[in-house]
Amino acid sequence: MKYLSICSISFVNLISISFSCFLFSLYFLLNNMVYFIEWEVVSLNSMSIVMTFLFDWMSLLFMSFVLMIASLVIFYSKEYMESDENINRFIMLVLMFVLSMMLLIISPNLISILLGWDGLGLVSYCLVIYFQNIKSYNAGMLTALSNRIGDVALLLAIAWMLNYGSWNYIFYLEVMQNEFEMLLIGSLVMLAAMTKSAQIPFSSWLPAAMAAPTPVSALVHSSTLVTAGVYLLIRFNILLSFSWLGQLLLLLASLTMFMSGLGANFEFDLKKIIALSTLSQLGLMMSILSMGFYKLAMFHLLTHALFKALLFMCAGAIIHNMNNSQDIRLMGGLSIHMPLTSTCFNVSNLALCGMPFLAGFYSKDMILEVVMISNINMFSFFLYFFSTGLTVSYSFRLVYYSMTGDLNCGSLNMLNDESWVMLRGMMGLLIMSIIGGSMLNWLIFPIPYMICLPKLMKFLTLFVCIFGGLFGYLISMTNLYSLNKSLLNYNISVFLGSMWFMPYISTYGMIFYPLNMGQLVVKSFDQGWSEYFGGQHLYQKLVNYSQILFLMHNNSLKIYLMLFVFWILILLNFLLFM
Amino acid sequence: MAQVPLAIASHKRQVCSLYKRALRNLEAWYDRRNVYRYRAVQLRARFDENRCKDLGEGIRLLACGQRELFETKHFQPRNFANSSGGCAYEREVIPPDWLLDYWHPLEKAQYPEYFAKREQRKKEYVTWWEKQYGKPDPKDLGHH
Repeated sequence: MKYLSICSISFVNLISISFSCFLFSLYFLLNNMVYFIEWEVVSLNSMSIVMTFLFDWMSLLFMSFVLMIASLVIFYSKEYMESDENINRFIMLVLMFVLSMMLLIISPNLISILLGWDGLGLVSYCLVIYFQNIKSYNAGMLTALSNRIGDVALLLAIAWMLNYGSWNYIFYLEVMQNEFEMLLIGSLVMLAAMTKSAQIPFSSWLPAAMAAPTPVSALVHSSTLVTAGVYLLIRFNILLSFSWLGQLLLLLASLTMFMSGLGANFEFDLKKIIALSTLSQLGLMMSILSMGFYKLAMFHLLTHALFKALLFMCAGAIIHNMNNSQDIRLMGGLSIHMPLTSTCFNVSNLALCGMPFLAGFYSKDMILEVVMISNINMFSFFLYFFSTGLTVSYSFRLVYYSMTGDLNCGSLNMLNDESWVMLRGMMGLLIMSIIGGSMLNWLIFPIPYMICLPKLMKFLTLFVCIFGGLFGYLISMTNLYSLNKSLLNYNISVFLGSMWFMPYISTYGMIFYPLNMGQLVVKSFDQGWSEYFGGQHLYQKLVNYSQILFLMHNNSLKIYLMLFVFWILILLNFLLFM
Repeated sequence: MAQVPLAIASHKRQVCSLYKRALRNLEAWYDRRNVYRYRAVQLRARFDENRCKDLGEGIRLLACGQRELFETKHFQPRNFANSSGGCAYEREVIPPDWLLDYWHPLEKAQYPEYFAKREQRKKEYVTWWEKQYGKPDPKDLGHH
């Protein structure tokens, strides 16, 4: 029975589908093939409802990565969620999430994209509120409502697509790109993508969603769900390159990258630091995409999925061992207690920083060099490079806090590396985090990009990374006699550590006036005028009328006799006086 | 109503409470143990310095201390995972068994077999209990 658990069965199924998807993607890539599969659902006279699927190397490769990460995460959950009451529900939800993601990836049609998109939103809400405490419920509500804005934008885009008679956007993008309607559709799709990928006005849900179990964070909030927005914009990239939409997205995405990079340096929750790092990388993908390099965005999306999922899985193993404690101030010296997990953690961190020849290096380095040869302003250039430095800084800080020094937790503990199922799950991704970058590089770019730059420019990325590491060390190093650096700059640290107060703006800030208005309406209308005239008054009137009717009914004989007498009097009157 | 104090705390208790909260705040700022201990000793010295002042001065110092604590409060206080405010607080809520007894008869009627068996088991449990520990004293029955 041990081998027939829901985790094992799902793992085997998903990994085999992933492998076949990967082989197909190689075949499609090498032969430059695209498959459109149409399935006619209903055909009545001239109307036909058609379901379309698009298979090209991009969708197949993305699908194979999603399935591979999902399978390893499910494998890992077998041990991580072992003591959980509702593990079956958990695995079912993860499988439903994977299905929605598949639908989204292979859809060239806005309606079926919406189906997948809404499926993702709903399942991610269910996964965020998987633990039943108030924190999770709040986080789930924030997640669901932020994503709902994107859903509405997508619905509006569908309504505008009616102008063209079909929702298969892929046929219209190039032909209609200069039309106003297409610009509107593009901006709505961009809004949808920004909510899903947590770009600046909608950033606060991603760190809040860390209330979900860690395997969910590894799959949903790092590698798949949040990249759905980037993937959607990769499909719509033509609309971005030649309009102001791209410029706007570049500004917002690079600000997101900058804000989250700074925020991660002042955060103390292990999972939130990684979530902010994800946000920073999403900003990088979005900003390079907005400059028109969609292949680079796709490349970084795939490599990032590999090492970020691994990073979350390592964080999960650490949290599991620390008895659910996520505060990095309670950690320390983990490299001695959990050497294998620490190895995986460090490799994924180095890949994130862009250490040469690991997965992140190929995509990140290429993106930064392309930025250097592109025609962009100083501000964007600064944001790109400063954020790269910040990435190294918070990674270094994370390693400093968790891996070095002494353990800050209680002295009686059972920290060990004996969770073999979780470790095996991590090892699969460890290998991919090392070789994934070079492999994808050779696949996606068979002819290498030749980027000629002056020597100092070429070394700029390296310098920025070294300075970032130094900065990370300096801010986290504590001296016995010096005051805490964050305490010295209290206001700045509070501002940066709270994501520029964005969570407050998108919760209290958004809801304050509507809620007050609602209270007024409830008080003066629902329970006031409307109740007085509608409920109470109408009721009172009906009661009065029915009382009168009752009176008449009870005295009907008397009334009849009275009328009888009355008419006789009138008749007598007529007879006597006329 | 939330602002109405439920109890009047003595000056001494307020100072003790301030001291404890200040220590927790230090713990959040200075995460390495040796550095924290150094700061904690300094804090204790500051409190001890003003130990035997007269009450008027003590009240003023208490207000100053509370203000200082408020102004330097950590933006992400260090919480224990399973305690209130921690990340794993009340993660798994297992509804107590007696909740089922409060179901409406119409709700219970949807699962007749289960509830019939449940009633049977309750009777069996009472029988077992009485056999094991004897019948309850009639004085203890009923409301007091």
